[in-house]
Amino acid sequence: MHHPSSQGPIGHRPSRSTGGAFWRSLEELVRTPDFQAALAREFPGLGPLAEAVDRRALLRVMGASLALAGLTGCKAEPDETALPYVVQPEGIVSGNPRFYATAVTLAGYALPALGKTYAGRPVKLEGNPDHPAAAGASDPFLQGALLDLYDPERSQAPRHLGQPTSWSAFDDAVAAMARDMDGRQGEGFRILTGAVTSPTLSRQIAALTQRWPKARWHAFEPVNDDLRREATGMAFGRPLETHLLLEEAEVVVSLDDDLLGPGPRQAAHHRRWSARRRAMQAGQGRCRLLVAEPVPTLTGGAAEARLVAPAQRMAAFVEAIAAGLGAEGRPGALSDAERGFVDRAVAALKAHPGRGLLTVGAQHPPEVQAAALLASARLGAIGTTLRLTDPITLAPPDGAQSLERLMSDMADGAVTALVVIGANPAYAAPAGLNFEAALAKVPLRLHAGLHYDETAQACHWHAPLAHELETWSDARAVDGTASIIQPLVRSFYDVRPLHAIMAALSGGSDASDRTAVEATWKASMGEEFDARWRAALVRGFVAGSAPEVVTPSLATAAPTLAPDGEEGGLAVVVRPDPTLWDGRFAHNAWLQETPKPFTKITWGNVVTVSPRWAAENSVVQGDEVRLSVGGRSITGPAFVLPGQEPGTVGLTLGGGRRVAGEVGTGLGYDASALLETARARRLAGASLERTGRALPLASTQLHQAMDGFDFVRTVTGPDQDASTHGQSPGPGTAAPAGGPAPTFYPARRWDSPSWGMAIDTDLCTGCNACVVACVAENNVPVVGKAEVENGREMHWLRVDHYFSGDPAAPRSYFQPVPCMHCEQAPCEMGCPVNATVHSSDGLNLQVYNRCIGTRTCSSFCPYKVRRFNWFDYTSGDPPELRAARNPEVTVRARGVMEKCTYCVQRIGAARINAKEEGRAIREGEVVTACQQACPASAISFGDVTDPGSLVSRHKLSPRNYSLLEEANTRPRTTYLARIEDEGEAPA
Amino acid sequence: MSDVAAGAPDAFGRVSEEITGIPFHFPHRGTWWVLFGGALILLLIFFISVGVLFFFGVGVWGNNIPVNWGFPIINYVWFLGIGHAGTLISALLLLTGADWRNALNRFAEAMTLFSVICAGLYPILHLGRPWLFYWMAPYPNTMALWPQFKSPLSWDFFAVVVYLIVSVLFWYIGALPDFATMRDRARSRFAQVAYGLLALGWRGSARHWARWRQAYRLVAALAVPLVFAVTASYALLFAAGLVPGWASTVYPPYFFAGAVFSGFAVVAMIATVLRHGLGLGHIITARHLDLIGVFLLATGFMTAYGYVAEAFDVLYAGKPQELATLMDRLTGAYAATYWGAVALNFLPLQLLWVRRIRAHPVALFLVALAVTFGMWLERYMLVVTALYRDWLVSSWGAYHATFWDWALFAGMLGVFLVPFLLFVRFLPVVSVFEVNAAWAREARHG
Repeated sequence: MHHPSSQGPIGHRPSRSTGGAFWRSLEELVRTPDFQAALAREFPGLGPLAEAVDRRALLRVMGASLALAGLTGCKAEPDETALPYVVQPEGIVSGNPRFYATAVTLAGYALPALGKTYAGRPVKLEGNPDHPAAAGASDPFLQGALLDLYDPERSQAPRHLGQPTSWSAFDDAVAAMARDMDGRQGEGFRILTGAVTSPTLSRQIAALTQRWPKARWHAFEPVNDDLRREATGMAFGRPLETHLLLEEAEVVVSLDDDLLGPGPRQAAHHRRWSARRRAMQAGQGRCRLLVAEPVPTLTGGAAEARLVAPAQRMAAFVEAIAAGLGAEGRPGALSDAERGFVDRAVAALKAHPGRGLLTVGAQHPPEVQAAALLASARLGAIGTTLRLTDPITLAPPDGAQSLERLMSDMADGAVTALVVIGANPAYAAPAGLNFEAALAKVPLRLHAGLHYDETAQACHWHAPLAHELETWSDARAVDGTASIIQPLVRSFYDVRPLHAIMAALSGGSDASDRTAVEATWKASMGEEFDARWRAALVRGFVAGSAPEVVTPSLATAAPTLAPDGEEGGLAVVVRPDPTLWDGRFAHNAWLQETPKPFTKITWGNVVTVSPRWAAENSVVQGDEVRLSVGGRSITGPAFVLPGQEPGTVGLTLGGGRRVAGEVGTGLGYDASALLETARARRLAGASLERTGRALPLASTQLHQAMDGFDFVRTVTGPDQDASTHGQSPGPGTAAPAGGPAPTFYPARRWDSPSWGMAIDTDLCTGCNACVVACVAENNVPVVGKAEVENGREMHWLRVDHYFSGDPAAPRSYFQPVPCMHCEQAPCEMGCPVNATVHSSDGLNLQVYNRCIGTRTCSSFCPYKVRRFNWFDYTSGDPPELRAARNPEVTVRARGVMEKCTYCVQRIGAARINAKEEGRAIREGEVVTACQQACPASAISFGDVTDPGSLVSRHKLSPRNYSLLEEANTRPRTTYLARIEDEGEAPA
Repeated sequence: MSDVAAGAPDAFGRVSEEITGIPFHFPHRGTWWVLFGGALILLLIFFISVGVLFFFGVGVWGNNIPVNWGFPIINYVWFLGIGHAGTLISALLLLTGADWRNALNRFAEAMTLFSVICAGLYPILHLGRPWLFYWMAPYPNTMALWPQFKSPLSWDFFAVVVYLIVSVLFWYIGALPDFATMRDRARSRFAQVAYGLLALGWRGSARHWARWRQAYRLVAALAVPLVFAVTASYALLFAAGLVPGWASTVYPPYFFAGAVFSGFAVVAMIATVLRHGLGLGHIITARHLDLIGVFLLATGFMTAYGYVAEAFDVLYAGKPQELATLMDRLTGAYAATYWGAVALNFLPLQLLWVRRIRAHPVALFLVALAVTFGMWLERYMLVVTALYRDWLVSSWGAYHATFWDWALFAGMLGVFLVPFLLFVRFLPVVSVFEVNAAWAREARHG
């Protein structure tokens, strides 16, 4: 009873007319028409669309569309069982937060995090304290990543030619492309990603190139370490990752290397540097930092000595320092100031053999970096202050030339299909590569990303990706330790995980992101998978996954450095933005409203120029200038930045986004429009001229001179007294007399606990992690550019920045200013309705529902830390943003005053815990959001009536002082003076 | 002052008819309607700007951090200062028996009343949540909370509320006999009933006069110290804060002098306009103008002394923050308000040394106008220059009034002008019986 059709198409043998008697692979089989027909019957989505449409069919489809339109509201839910809490699950108390270890990524690297969730809703990210890379340290990007999750402007549906479409249509397109590629072994198929450290993504890329051997993977990361990798190749014979062990380095000479600046290494470097700094404060060794740089950076701000020098002089300094340390070669001529700096650096490095480090920024030519690496090696740095491992990021086949290679192939028409995943080259690629023109030559372009951005707009298809906090993935931190990224929340948009899209492309069997990640780790964890996987999820990282330390042989010949040629015109230095990075955070209103450390500008970037150049060209703050170089130009607002090299113009990436939603579009300029190649973020021969317009600058601090006051005090050694003597002649000439001011009233006795804070300005670098953490923790509203211009920013915690000294080469001081919680608070006296009162535990409270908005408290506040709800900033928020709010903190209404509470909700939680357990609140049990976020642990908080608490010990330090002591407000927040210039004497 | 009250003795008795006749046979009806129409437009602007304010919030103004207080507080102090002159002229001169006040007191009291209303509205509108302004009052509430009595705003609230009540009482009690006269002279039934209700059954019996005299003097005795209390309370609103440029004990007397100064300036303006418009040259005589000019000159010098004392205070104490604020006032971004205040307050004032200029209505009006503007600039200067640069350099900011700041200010002038014009139109602008009595005394003793 054999019937051919009962076997179906698979049983049906191909006809002889194809030329072969037998089919050799399933691939050959599936190309038969019968199979295709059966496939179309079974999976209509994969089949081709009906070709001819007649009038009847059209009307039928239209009628059906109308009838079914209502069904589109029914979203397919994952087939997982969800049950309400009829019976309270054990171990879960609704209303209590739960913490999950996970990570978010920046430039491919994991920023290890602990996510705090309420009822399955993440509300705060903290650094993962167990992670070996940063040990709980965080940075502004980690703190701000939460808002990306809840961004209402995230892409929420696939698009075809810009129009929203369905996932099945997208799947059809991918399947069609896959069929096509199957036939050509992937010839002409290219995939472009950002930097990759994810083992699962690496595995999927490998699977993809295995499936289609002629397909090619490219990587483009706008801010990358490609040149550092090349430098290690020159110095050590093969590309390596450099890990700077700053906790070991008593002397660091940084030549335009922004060690403490923004980026994936910021938290880790802060953790290490602050450990060294604290040891120095305790009298154990030195912590010297000497910096030469053209544009002020956080590293320069923290340095004991900072030489203002053009970027192209770094090669000469490396040569001179290397020569000073005994290397061969004839260094070029140096000016007196340069000679002084080099001599000081050489002396310092020589004084601490094996504990020194010479480093050059990763944006400098590889020869220069290699020379510095060799000089460091000669100092005995390798193994002590400089650790080398294999590269953490996966190198694309063409290495640093990856993007250029892709561009040339695209321009040649060799690329038939391009998939861009999680990168935005249409915005971020250097203008010299002309990405969009080349892209237009690709017949099929797909984009998958978190947002519908410039690249998505230029592609045929766009697929919305799930955020890292709602997907399974993995990534390596800067030390190479891998983290498992686990979702904190189920996607609330119709988006797909990265690994699911990759699985579809690579033809893998991984149905979901979780199985993909598990498959990766099953291979490496072996038999102990279950236990090790569980441990990795709980702790947030895979123990022992950091790469081995390698001890390479040194190159015998020092690389030859190109002579420092005379470059006409102005030099241009393009840096990643401290709050927008390469523009990927342009959507993020928290980060947009975070003031940049030096300029205090929010909402967009500025063109920084030196005071001398500005004076010579009569440019003032906010003048619109046109910067032209090599036939390209940008316009943006000028900012006169003390400490900038006169021949240098400073730019940052991240502005001028063209497709970045309501929040990010059209703010500032796009610096990549000036760049020629992805290799150099430094340009020469630029000209800068005024356009005659003035642009408004949304700055949160208009004046950065201390004007002879002593807001930030300095001492010249760790044990010097900040209140009476030992002040450097620089800032702080108006020293008030020590001791409390006379009073008629008896001293108040404070019950325990009574809260206080001490902020070590010696450790604060101004990185802004605390500011963004405070915004996230306390539901601080974002007010937008116009309101910041109006002086109405809402930040409870601000970081004041002061310059002192010669504007050409000033000293920089950062001072975080939360509420001082004054014991004699002028605000409390001023309020007529008891809306601001003192608590028994020493807090200055603000009672929102009692406040009627007279603003007397703010007028009377000498520190101006109070913020007023001039408008209704919160009730118009979309539901996504409401979900991002911390349920423990009141959302403030229009017309009420607000300010820093010392995170009273955290104090309350600790008090409840302590009461339940019948004990006092322990030291260290209350950690404020700013304190927790600070990567340098510059903030200490605790009970000031307990002499053993860290904060009490800090307040006993001779460096302790009160801000505006002369106002006699007796602030509970005090500062530790900065230790300025440890001097040349040996420790 | 015998010649002050002395109109022509034969005018005795005619004054009642003349003054009370004004509402019934109003001269310049056309002009009045134009003015009233303008005032109504301003009032409409008031309602619109308050509507916008209530709908959007105080963010529609230019206030910010650090300049939390802007136009509302500036104008509050300005209006309140103007109000004080009416009380002082009326009550203080009543108690000291200066008969010449009788030509001025009624409209000066009306001016006080309406400007106190404007002044009282401003701090309420200034609030972030104005609908909760009554929380400043000590009333029994479910939250079991008193106001915070240490706050100068609490003192201020009590002072202004009491001052408003006393001003109303003083004006109304003083006008009672005249309402009765109006009732008696009114022709239309409506006017008779309306004035009759206002007159509270006044029949002019000796007993009525005795009671009235007690009540009037009692309220006057309350009102005079209240002027000092109110100026002190809003002066302490500034002085009690820690803000450099505010925290000074010179403020209460300084504000008192400034208040009386600006008030007399507005009295001078109203007197010259009414005198001209209603043909009251024989009642508000050149001698009255002369006396107002003398008062203006005297209080102007007291105010100038306040300027000097404040600067001396700062220089003597030598605190760097205070010195910086003084320098900001003299040379900073808002120096124009300081020097504008000095120029407008004190330079034209020197013309008043000359009796001929003092007694000349146009000249007096112009000098008074300059002082009115100058005192407004002074209020602006005191509020803004102290706040825009206070203790921490990092918090320095700037302040610019927005459209809605100006709109509310214009609207508030409407709130002042509409009732004042109604007063001019429908009530006797000069105290009839007191002028009569004064003239009678003159006739007896003359």
